[in-house]
This record gives sequence, structure tokens and C-alpha cells, in this order.
Amino acid sequence: MFEAAEINAEHKDLIHDVAYDFYGNRMATCSSDQYVKVWDQIGNEKWTLTSSWKAHSGSVWKVTWAHPEFGQVLATCSFDRTAAVWEEIIGETPGPGERGTRHWVRRTNLVDSRTSVTDVKFGPKCLGLQLATCSADGIIRIYEAPDVMNLSQWTLQHEITCKLSCSCLSWNPSLTNNHPQMIAVGSDDNTAQTGKVFIFEYSENSRRWMKIETIITIMEPVHDISFAPNLGRSYHILAVATKDVKIINLTPIKDNSSIQSGLTKLDVQTVAQFTDHTCTVWRASWNVTGTVLATSGDDGCVRMFKMNYINSWKPVTVLKGDGAVIPNDAHRGSIASSTGVLTPPITQTASYNDSGSMVRNGVNYTLKPTNCPQHIPPRLFKRIRQSFNSI
Amino acid sequence: MSGRLEVIWTPVHDKFITWGSDFSLYQVENIREGFSAGCRMSSSTGANLLASTPSTYFAKCVDVYPQSDKDILLAIGYTNGRIILTTFGPTIYDSQGIPKKELFPRYPRQCNAVAWNPIDVNKIIGGLDKHRSEHSVLLWDVVRGSSNYESSNNRNADHPRPISEYGLSETTYSLAWFQNNSKLVAAGMSLKNIKLIDFRDTTKAATSTLTKAVYGVCVDPHNDHYLASFHDSQIYVWDVRNFEKSMVCLTQPKSLMKISWCPTKHNLLGALHKESSLIHLYDIQQSAVANEDFEPSVLDRTVVPGSSKNLTSFSWHETDENRLLTIASNGSLIDYTVFESITLNYAANFNMVWTYGRKTMKCINKSNELFANLDDVSYRMMERAKNGYGLKDELYKNGELVDDDAALANVWNWLYYSEKLVADGTVKNTNSKHPGVRDVLKLDANATKSEAHSTTWLDLPATNNLGVIKQYNHEDRDCALNLCGWHMDTEKFLKFLDRLAEKNAHSRAAALAVFNLRLRTAIDILHKSPDRNLNVVAMALAGFTDDKNSMWRQFCSNPKVKMSDPYLRAMFAFLTAENANYDNVLNENEISVDDRVAFACTFLSDSKLNEYLKSLTTKMISEGNLDGMLLTGNNMDGIRLLQRYLDITGDVQSTALVSVRAFGADLLQETQDWVLSYTNLLDTWQLWHERALFDVMFQAQRPNDKPRQQVFVSCKFCGKSISAYMHGLNRGRGTFSRMGVTANKMKMSACPHCRKPLTRCVICLMHIGTTTGVQDNGDTEANKLVDFSNWFTWCQTCRHGGHSSHIINWFREHSECPVTACTCRCFSVDTISANPTK
Repeated sequence: MFEAAEINAEHKDLIHDVAYDFYGNRMATCSSDQYVKVWDQIGNEKWTLTSSWKAHSGSVWKVTWAHPEFGQVLATCSFDRTAAVWEEIIGETPGPGERGTRHWVRRTNLVDSRTSVTDVKFGPKCLGLQLATCSADGIIRIYEAPDVMNLSQWTLQHEITCKLSCSCLSWNPSLTNNHPQMIAVGSDDNTAQTGKVFIFEYSENSRRWMKIETIITIMEPVHDISFAPNLGRSYHILAVATKDVKIINLTPIKDNSSIQSGLTKLDVQTVAQFTDHTCTVWRASWNVTGTVLATSGDDGCVRMFKMNYINSWKPVTVLKGDGAVIPNDAHRGSIASSTGVLTPPITQTASYNDSGSMVRNGVNYTLKPTNCPQHIPPRLFKRIRQSFNSI
Repeated sequence: MSGRLEVIWTPVHDKFITWGSDFSLYQVENIREGFSAGCRMSSSTGANLLASTPSTYFAKCVDVYPQSDKDILLAIGYTNGRIILTTFGPTIYDSQGIPKKELFPRYPRQCNAVAWNPIDVNKIIGGLDKHRSEHSVLLWDVVRGSSNYESSNNRNADHPRPISEYGLSETTYSLAWFQNNSKLVAAGMSLKNIKLIDFRDTTKAATSTLTKAVYGVCVDPHNDHYLASFHDSQIYVWDVRNFEKSMVCLTQPKSLMKISWCPTKHNLLGALHKESSLIHLYDIQQSAVANEDFEPSVLDRTVVPGSSKNLTSFSWHETDENRLLTIASNGSLIDYTVFESITLNYAANFNMVWTYGRKTMKCINKSNELFANLDDVSYRMMERAKNGYGLKDELYKNGELVDDDAALANVWNWLYYSEKLVADGTVKNTNSKHPGVRDVLKLDANATKSEAHSTTWLDLPATNNLGVIKQYNHEDRDCALNLCGWHMDTEKFLKFLDRLAEKNAHSRAAALAVFNLRLRTAIDILHKSPDRNLNVVAMALAGFTDDKNSMWRQFCSNPKVKMSDPYLRAMFAFLTAENANYDNVLNENEISVDDRVAFACTFLSDSKLNEYLKSLTTKMISEGNLDGMLLTGNNMDGIRLLQRYLDITGDVQSTALVSVRAFGADLLQETQDWVLSYTNLLDTWQLWHERALFDVMFQAQRPNDKPRQQVFVSCKFCGKSISAYMHGLNRGRGTFSRMGVTANKMKMSACPHCRKPLTRCVICLMHIGTTTGVQDNGDTEANKLVDFSNWFTWCQTCRHGGHSSHIINWFREHSECPVTACTCRCFSVDTISANPTK
């Protein structure tokens, strides 16, 4: 049997989020103890704590890495109503011949929210350095660092009001500008009997974020939401952690009305629904290709689901919290789900409704794709360009 | 009251008490370790009854002696106001005379609450109903009382007096000691206030707050500032520093039975409703931001311990994280652990991590067998990328790398094959490198261009060769057949059949022979097969006759004759086909697309062929079946087919590679997403070399789109470009070309424009362009301007630099810039280089 390696997190309270960097070699954790910790994998096995600092004056809900081309950058959000951007720098060298210690400095503190900031995520790198936050009072904020060299300057570009308390958000990780920018937001509100997942899209025409879809089939509080890596597929896959695991396909429909309005029309299809976690599902995370989904829930288990064919999802593995595989349970799960798959997918065709009110703040700044060689990060590229003038 | 069942964990780790009409002590057992009797409490634990004490009066409240480390001592408050200290059987307390000791007020009335002092453990407090001439909060000292009792058997000791009392003519509903203050107790009194009674001075007015919520007063075990209490359907949380106003008020849908702080987790309050089988958990978050007063937030969570009946009580375990015990109205017990919400993440390199409990994380990496068992496309893609999949010059070699996926391997083979056919001129009149069958046939619905001709069986004697078979010919059809791998040339065709037979594909070889009207060859092939059944089929085939009324035909066309081998089915369907209706062959989905298409190209008329290919293409595209590449070739339909394949499998690698290798530059725009996604994947896997090779290959498809120069070197004095000049040099042109001819190694240490010296290497202090003393062999590096160790490199931040070999040596031991007075920590700028993972 296999063994799951154990890491002593050294946090004093519950860990709320753990995030891998782009390559999976670094890990950041955040906790109710108000600390953020960064872990590095030395060699191929062991994870070592390399930094630990008090990041907020309240529980830190989420932590996320920026694309490495922007440097070693983290964003955190907290119950203390702020979100922060951190950059790793090298400290003073303690003595000759010794390497300086790395530490993280707060580059900015985003204090616009009046309530707990529940999620923070960097936008796809083709959009430059953008950051989306959502808060308990239902406001989604999009920030942008116009100068990727200067992480202390962020402008609040958009404020989207969502009416319901937001708990989680996810950018559509599409790599190109072929798709409009898209954000999915989930709400943990448990009073209103309405849809709890909203899809927003940036409209180039009006230069605002517009709500293009409310997934009305999800009425229960949503704890996590995650777009699968797009990978050039013709549709987007969204995982929603609510009282069960839901996998939703969002297929853009190209017809006249969507071309006229400039907004994508989505065909929303719930392709899988797993109640294996019995009560509450906390988190959902995709593998790099969007073909395997890992979820965690109130049953104290980590479950993995795999796409065998289009729209056909099967549970493949169940891990107990301590890492032990539950073989029989996996089998049981597959039976349970095959009945789940058989139920006809609930289809709804989106119709655009203008209920999301949006406010645009800050400077009038439109993003142009940087015209630079393909594999040189723009930031580095600027430096290279400047450097030869000075040597 | 007696009907209601309660449960309490004792300070002894695995023992708990239930009480209703009697008190029972249970021991928790692990089921795996030979657990037999007793009651089952969860999948892994059960409980054995150790002892039981019937209660003489109706017990009203109970508290367990906090220092019971081996034996359990209970203080039980009764409806008559007595507090009786009880044990289960003989205990260490017997010598102290504590068991059966009774503490009672002067005027009997109901005892509502009893609580041991957690610090000064001999003190016990009782809360009683109202009496106009006696206090309702009585503090007793158990040991002192007992010593009195033993030393002098006087009347005083018979009626041990409380050492302190409070609350004249008030009712006390609930009591709770503070954890860190042995003198302070919180009491819910008289349905109107909660008082903080300080026993150092009971005469002083107690801190109090006006509230109806006097039930279930409990102090947060982690923070003495917080109190919780409830009334009917409302839970209040109080901060004693600001006692006038409740900090939080939680309104519940139902009235409450019990609330209790979790002893193992900060600020977690559990609550049980009446007639409910759920436990509600409230995580109360308070944080002070810059001394601002702001509303704490409460995270609400509901857990289902899984009882079928309604719960009557629950108890948190003192030390086990988040463990609680519930008891239902029918007495069934459930041992439940509230799992901390698990957060998890899945990294690009197959690492997966999740939190386990509050303070540990579990992680698994890609060497784990779990991922091997998953057989996920992501893992396959990475393995293939490492093997150089898609980068091999010979297209079919890429197919060899994916031989675990027949359809994919087939695509690469077909690409190779079709390219060869186009190159050697077998397939003419096409602009594309990999034309599809539909491209080659150039069919359109209205025109008929193929000529039909009737032919007879090639190798049968005339006797059973009555009929004729209509075939269609056109040079475009020949091209199409070539693409399908049906060689026109007899000799080649026979060799092909032999090869198939060698590969044990006898039935396919036979079917192809029959489709090419070589019945005798087919019989020979089947006859030679090691498979007995096929030998029999050969015999059956030998009886073939064209006569429509023959018994052979009637029997063979009987739909009930089922053959498991699709090729045999197709073969007989062909032989028994009437009026050139070959639907049974054409719709035989289990035979390969190549054979079906080739068959159609031989036997179908233009219009029918067009229709058939069209519907087949549509079907292939909708199925994402890569065999359909044969039909579509490298046109827009091919892209659609690949897109569908990608949608189904997620294999962006193959679609990106096929599109880059086989599709024309005009269609690359369509596949940009795939290429980007694939290069991004390779980047996240740190397969940078593979990515670079892929980019080179990709660029080769677009020769007109030269990548731009990335770095420009200019003179720091005159500002004119040096790189442009070097560029020209390299090509042997430009103003200074003569310099390049004279020396095989460039030497240029001054600006070609202003003749000022170029910058120096910070280590050796030579100007760039000056060769260092170290000479290399020259042969291997002959084509380069300078070998790598003499390349000029510089820090991105401070822009000091030098020869790469010197710089590398320097930063082996230093992290700071070698330039005097420059404090830049150049070495640490780029984390990927500074933090090697392999």
C-alpha cells in the first residue's frame, strides 16, 4: 500500500487554504492563526517550511500564487476585511559568504471591502496582473497592477455587486484572448431560495463586467468553485462544492443575439452530481488537464473523480483524511454515481438578464496584449531591454 | 426529567457516563480489538458498560470531579436540593470519606446546577431554586467538610455548612466557573440576569447583565472573556469585558436543549435543538482591527452524527480533537468526530495535498501508485512528452510512442503514409500534404464522373460465376483507395494480404480478398489460419454461388446466422448482397474505417459514395473518432474532428502536435489555443527543453514569421546598436564583414561606431569581446562567435555583468554582486535558478 507523507503544518489553528505555485514546487498555507506559511520542496520528497509570517489580524481565508513570470508573488484575503499582495525578497546578508534569507513583504493592502474578504484569485496571465476578490457583503472587486514591475500600486478597476454574500470565486483560466474574461462566483448564503452560482463576463463593448448567467439549479450554499484548465476545449468545466459535488459544462453558443450583444450565451449542463460526501463538500480542485477532480467533504474523506468520456464522470479513489485508501468505498461510489449519471442532465439555456449592477472605477485602462517574444516574461523582457542601455 | 437521557465524558480518556433514571459508566472499546458485547457507537468504536448506580431520588444535574484520573467521582444534584457525591464501586476516594457525602441546604428545594471548581478542585457549587430566606448559590468545600465530619461527630458536620453563599431569594438556573479564576462564577439567575459572582467578596454588587437567557451558561474554555447562554430559541454570546450588551445573538429555528463550547477548538460552540438529530456548530470569529468595534462573524455549520432518533444530549471530549458523543431518546449512543473542513490542492506536477485535522497536512506525489491506477490522460501526456512524442522527424515514429492507443498511433501512421503518397506522386492533384479521401475524390452531389464497369470474380471457374458485380473506376478513386491502404497493384495487394495473415488478422485478409473479388485467395487464407473456426468458414466460403435461389445463399443471408467476427460478417454480407445494396458492409462499425471507405470507393456510385462519405464524416466528427482523419484530411473538418477528440479525451498534446505537424499554416490560427495550452502544460511540468523543441517545430511551419530579436546591445557612449552590427557580421555582410573573415573567433572590444571600449567583465576586468586566456579546442564551437563560457551575461537588476563562466563561479560562493559598492543580491533574483528542484 502507499503512504501519504505527513507534514506538520505548524499552524496554531485550522488551515483554511493551501495553494501550490505554477510548477507545484512551492506551497503556501494560511490559517485562522492569522499566519501564512510558505513551503518548498527540497529534492523530490520533503517539504520544508521556508517562511512564516503574521499576515493579517484575522483568520486568513485564502492564499493564492501569481504566475511566476510576475515574480514570487502571493495574495491573501482575510476576515480582517483586507486582501494583501506579498512578494518574496532577499534580505540582508548576515555575513560574508552566506546567502541572505528570503522573506515576504507586503506590497499592498487592499482595504476597499467593508466585510470579510472571502476569496482572492489572480487572473490568467494573458490579462496581465489582475486580482479578483469577493467579500461577505456580495461585492466582487477586480484590481489591476498597471505596472507589473510595481506591485505596490493596484487600481480598483471594477466593482460588481452580487447581492448575496460571496464565498468563493474562480477565473476561467483560458490562455488566450479568444474567450472573453470570465469569472464564476459562489455564494454561501443559506436564506434566499435562488441560484447560488453566478457567471460574469467582461464585455469589451461596454467595458464592464456583466452577469451572463445564474445557475439556478444550485440553491444550496456553495463552499468552493473551480474552473477546470480549459486546455483548448470547446466548452468550460466548472466544479461546484455545495452539499454535493457538481460538475457543470458551460458551452458558449454562437448565435446572432450573442454576437449582437457582445456577450456570450452559455449552454449550462450539469453533467455529474455526486453525493458521496454525504453532507457538505468543502473544496474542489482540478488536476492540470481538468480530467480528474479531487474534492473534500464532511465525511472526512478526499475523493477523486475522473472523466472517462465526455460528460461521463466516475468516482475513482477515496482517501481517508489520514491517507488510507478505502477500496470498497470506491466501488460503492461508482455504483451510486452510475445512477447519478443516468439521470438526464439538467439543461438550461442561458438568457441574458441585466440584474448584476456594475460600477467601474479607476482609470480608463484597457489591456492590450503585450507585444513581446512569446516566452520571455514581459517583466523580464523590460529589464533586458533596459539593461543593455546601461552596461 | 428522568426520561431525558444525558451523556458526559469523564476526565478519564475513554470513559463516559450516561444518566437518566440511573447512572451508567461506560468504557470505550476499539471494535477491532475483540469487541463483542456492549453497544456499537461508530464504525470503529463501541462501549462496554462498566458499572451502574440507580439513583434514589430524581437526579436533576450532575458534574464529574475534574481530577478523576482513574476513578470517577460524581456530584449529583437532586430535586430535593441535596448534592450527593457518588462513585461507582470502591475507589481511592473512599479513604477520604467523600463518597456518599451529602451536601444539602437548610430548606429543601430543587437543585438546578452543580459545578466543581476546575482549579480549586475541592470546592463545589450548587445552584438552587428560590427560597425567601436562603441563598440560592451555595459554595461547599468537600474536603474540609469531610474532615470536620471525621474529627468531631457533631451536629455541624452532619449538616456541613456552605463556606459561602449568594443570591438571597433568587433562583439559580445555571452555573459555570471561569477557567482561570477559582473565585469567579457565572450564574444565570431569576430569569432576568446573568451575574458574575466573586466569592472573594460576595457582598459587593456582582457584575451582571439583564437578560432572559439564563440557561446553559458556559464559559469558553479557551477564553475567560466569553460566555454563552441560551433562552428558548436564542443563543447569546457575551464578552464579560463589555457585559451590558451581548456580543452575538444567534436566533435558532427551534428551541434549544443544550449548548457547549468545544474544549479542543477555539471559539467553537455546539448547540442541540429540541426534536432534532443535528448538531449545529458555530465558529465565532472575532478580530479587532485597529481597535475598531465590529461585529464578529459566525460560521454556521451543521453536522449529522447519523442518529435515526432525535438527540437528547451531547458531550465534547476533553482532549480528543472535535470528538463528541451524542445520545438519542432511545438511548443509542454515537461517537462522532467532527472533521475539520479539509482543504486540498492538486498541483500541476501531480502532487496533491490536503489538511488532516487542524495541524497536519498529508501529501502524495506522482510516484504514488494511486496516480498509476488513475491512468489519467495528464500523466500519459507527460510521459509521452518526455519521450519526445510528436517531435520525431519521421511521423510514424511518433505513432510508435503511443502504441498503447491504437487510434492515435493510426493517425500518425496515416499522416506518414499520406505524406509519402503525395510526395511520390501516387496521389496527385492536391495542394495539401495530407489530403483526406473526400478531398481527393472531389465529389459533388450532382456530377457523375466515375465510370461503372461490370466485372466478374477473378479466380473462380465460370460454373458458379453467373452474375457480375458493378465496380466504379476513376483516377480520383484510385487515389482514395491508396489513401485507405488498398493497393491497386495485384502483386502488392497479395503481399499486403500475406502481411495481414502473418499478423494473425486472417479474417480481415480474407474479407479484403473477397472485396477485391479474389474468393480463392480468401479461401486459401482462411484455410491456412490456425483458428479451427476459420477453417470451417473457408469451407463455407468454398460453397459460394451466385445463384439467388441456392441453398447456400438462403442460408448465409439468414439474419439468424450470427458471426462474432465483424470481418466475416461483412464478407458474407457482401457475398449475399442483393441489387448492389451493401449497407450491411458499410454500416459494419466494427471493421476499420479505412476498409469501409475503400469498399465504398470501389462499389458505390458517385452520388451514393458522396452521401455515404458525408454521413460517415459527420459521424466520425461527432464521435471524435480519429480514424475519421482519413476522410477529412488536414482541412477544417479535420480541425473539427480533432476538437471533438480533445473535448472527449482532454488530450491536447496530440491535437496540438497533429495540428502543428500536419495542418497548413492557414489553419494554425484555429489551433492556436491548443498550441498555447500545450506549451503551457510543458512549462508547468518544467519540460522546458521539450517546449523549446516544440516551439522550434512550430516555428518551422511558419517560415515567414521570423521571431524577433530579443536583446539589443548598444554602446553606452554613443548609444548606437552593436547587436545590429554583430548580426550583419554573422552573415558575412555589412560594413565590417571583413573582420569576420579574418578570424574564426570574433574579437571586438570596442564600439564599431565611436571606437570607445565596450564594458568590462566585472570579474576579469576585460572588455567584452576580448577573449579570455582559456582557449577551447575550437572545433566543436567553430560555428559560434564565442563559446558559452565567454558569453556575456548580466544581472537583471543591477546590470553588472561579465563572462558567464566567471559569473557562475562567483555566484557559486556569493549571492551579492561582485562589483564594489553594489549591494545587489543578483543571485536570488530568479527563483527557478536559485531553487533547483532536481
